[in-house]
Amino acid sequence: MEWSLHIAGTSDLEGDLTLDRVSAWEPSAKLQPVARLAAQAVGKVEFSRCAYGTEFCEHLLPSSDGLAEVARAVRERGLGFTFLTPYVSNAGIAQLRRLLERMEPGDEVAFNDWGVLNLLRRGFPHLTPVQGRLLNKSLRDPRVMGVYGESPAADAAAAATFAALQRSSADCAGYLDLLARFGVRDVEMDNLPQGMDLGFADHGVRVAVYLPFGFISTSRVCMAAGLHYRKADKFQPGAPCRHECQSHLVEYAYTNSPFSNRDQKFYLKGNTYFYAHTEPMLCGLFDHAGAGRVARLVFQPRLPMTAPAAAAAAEPELVLVTV
Amino acid sequence: MKILAPIRAFDELEMLAASGAEELYSGIVPREWMDRYTGAIWLNRRSPNGGSLETWSEMKQLVDAAHGAKLPVFITLNAPYYTAEQLPLVLELARRLSGDIGVDALIVSDIHLMARLSEENLAAKLHVSSVAASLNSEAIRFLMNFGPSRVILPRSLTVAEIEEITQDVGRDVEIEVFMLNDGCAFEEGFCATTHHHSVGAFCTSLSEMDVDFEWNRPVFTRRRRDWLMRNLADYRRWVWYVNGNGCGSTPKGLPYGPCGLCAIPDLERMGVASLKIVGREASPFKKMASVRMVRDIVERARAGVPKLHVIERARALRDEPEHCDSGYMCYYKV
Repeated sequence: MEWSLHIAGTSDLEGDLTLDRVSAWEPSAKLQPVARLAAQAVGKVEFSRCAYGTEFCEHLLPSSDGLAEVARAVRERGLGFTFLTPYVSNAGIAQLRRLLERMEPGDEVAFNDWGVLNLLRRGFPHLTPVQGRLLNKSLRDPRVMGVYGESPAADAAAAATFAALQRSSADCAGYLDLLARFGVRDVEMDNLPQGMDLGFADHGVRVAVYLPFGFISTSRVCMAAGLHYRKADKFQPGAPCRHECQSHLVEYAYTNSPFSNRDQKFYLKGNTYFYAHTEPMLCGLFDHAGAGRVARLVFQPRLPMTAPAAAAAAEPELVLVTV
Repeated sequence: MKILAPIRAFDELEMLAASGAEELYSGIVPREWMDRYTGAIWLNRRSPNGGSLETWSEMKQLVDAAHGAKLPVFITLNAPYYTAEQLPLVLELARRLSGDIGVDALIVSDIHLMARLSEENLAAKLHVSSVAASLNSEAIRFLMNFGPSRVILPRSLTVAEIEEITQDVGRDVEIEVFMLNDGCAFEEGFCATTHHHSVGAFCTSLSEMDVDFEWNRPVFTRRRRDWLMRNLADYRRWVWYVNGNGCGSTPKGLPYGPCGLCAIPDLERMGVASLKIVGREASPFKKMASVRMVRDIVERARAGVPKLHVIERARALRDEPEHCDSGYMCYYKV
């Protein structure tokens, strides 16, 4: 099994890639313990690949030179390179076309938009397409999915429901054959709060799983981007932003839960909500890995919403909007 | 440009046809699905209780009568995915809907189901659901591999983006867009949450949760915190609008919620094929009022009434200027 490390730029590669070091990268005091917990659970690993980019926002795409620089630095360390790409508008497709031109044969591109797969097939057959986790369809609502697994199924319908919830769009062999027809033999996914049935991995597809954060929902409307707009102009889909998402994190506590999980937390960074893996979720994932059904684990020590370095540095000072 | 109305019962047909509906869509959730998966796993994007028909006889009666009124009927099979165990049931459902029942199109989002149905050579056409998140022309070109006759664009596309897509692919496939009644705070195709009644929609649930901010810069002043809190309050207000102004109606009983009436002249000019009114589960009155509002504006656009006059009329029809002026009730800014 391979280990991949999600990096935010070349500076991450200036030092040893030990779990002890990388699990301190997340600046948030709320999130760093999650990365630390995962690192402790993993023990010692050797990374053979790096992932770079974000799956959730086209405003966080790097510059062409920035991407080329990171890819070169990764290769110089003898590591494989995966470029994570988001769902995109037509403008994003045009931007991605310029970015993909800077990649080299054998590099991977994780696509989270069927349009990006089409772009890869039409113009970049030398790059390896990987189905990203946004296109691995499953319910992963941490408010309730964990509850389904807490007690034994009361009847056949409950058992069938729970079994279905542990599966995803990759469950059908015919779906995997369809992906193969389009040159896709690798699929990425999240570690589900309700547990995963990875039986589909027996059909020859290679499965990669992210830890220690999973995505809940994402949007073209970004709450953080609203900070610099007049009230009536806020929350427009795809609206330009100043990477306000980099300045803060929002933690939600599920205080209105109808179940016993009122201490559960969700995290909003920019336009995307995430959940953190618990210790039992990590154990379940490592059991799957031990059984040989996971080809790759992708360690993301930070929430995967980091702006490219140059853009983050250009972030303007706080401007208070009068409404 | 057609007006596509939701329907969930034969009894609503005459009223919708008389009000101006030109196409209809609905859903069916057979008893065996509910017996097998309870209400936790939805066969389509609406709760089995209230948004769909339950029996084949009801469906047949509805489709026959709609065809008698020259209205095509489209049926949703648009769950984001189906497992290996579920797929045979869904395929059989599709065959029966197309064959015995004679529906005109199946609305699908799972590309595996799309591929399988395209191989079946069914009489019913394929429409790509908004859940497939066709956000760009390249995605639609990819989905054309499965032979759809129509693509329903997600709500989150702007008028300019819709125009670009329509120019790129509108000659090869019909384009349908959202027009009235229901929004989605997230990108529907990339939302992995449930609307199950035990927890409700994630977006509205968030508005009731305790929140803590963590500022990633050296100084987190009271002023900055207040700034973030005001933005959060604005966002929660926007989510309220997205959810049909708290699922309410105007004092005159007209539907609240996201609206694209002012964009109809632009959509007509671009060659958009169909305007979707959301809300299979809504009351018959809400459906009727929605269709009438859209028809009023569509007729003016078809007649070539100047855009600004159409917009004035749309605002007058809604008769709630403070909500129109909020900026949060529009699908599309024009």
